[in-house]
Amino acid sequence: MALKIQKSYNEEEQLWVLELEGEVDLHTAGNLKEAVTDMLEEKISSIRVIGDRLEYIDSTGLSVFIGAIKKLQAKNHHIIVTNLKPSIKKLLNITGLDKIIVVEN
Amino acid sequence: MNEGINRELIELSIPHRSEYIGMIRLTVASIASRMGFDIEDIEDMKVAISEACANAIRHGGCSEEENFIVQFIREQNRLEISVSDFGKGYSVNTLQTPNTQELNEGGLGIFIIKSLMDDVKIKSGNSQGTSITMIKNLREEA
Repeated sequence: MALKIQKSYNEEEQLWVLELEGEVDLHTAGNLKEAVTDMLEEKISSIRVIGDRLEYIDSTGLSVFIGAIKKLQAKNHHIIVTNLKPSIKKLLNITGLDKIIVVEN
Repeated sequence: MNEGINRELIELSIPHRSEYIGMIRLTVASIASRMGFDIEDIEDMKVAISEACANAIRHGGCSEEENFIVQFIREQNRLEISVSDFGKGYSVNTLQTPNTQELNEGGLGIFIIKSLMDDVKIKSGNSQGTSITMIKNLREEA
């Protein structure tokens, strides 16, 4: 399965909304990295990742967020992820990423 | 699948290209599901095998024309998965447990595999390629 990425800036909440549909692995992580890099080049701001339709992510995808967090934390911005599948939450937990990424239901 | 089979080998030879990793995830899910693993264990194995394949593709040092081997050894109560490349290999001793306070973009893969699987062995180095063998035990039904 491929990865569909939709990004938009929510002026009201002043954050990026990133909707991911499909699978993030070595094959698709490059597209995610490009999208996130473009977003943060346009505007450094918090990112809310909508995870309802994210079926799969592994370390290659998580690395993209780790890279982004470094840029965001310096300006007191965050990454928020919502509605993740249990298996993806587990991955954030074992890697300790849930300590630096805000996980919402 | 036939009951009473003690040990069966399923082997795939895969080009060093990332587009095939999704197919390998489907394969492991299919094998593990037939063996009776639950959804959580199947998801663990999908992530672990993807990490091992990503490792082979990125760090194996092989060209896209060369293949790496994925073996599934199905036993009565466990599934053993091996991902082997024929590249340069690397020193297993240099692998470190990532510090969660200072996460780096690399180095997470092996840590994730070790966290998700019941037993993991890594053989690498001396131009012998790298082989990651990982085992998931079938849990007794409560």
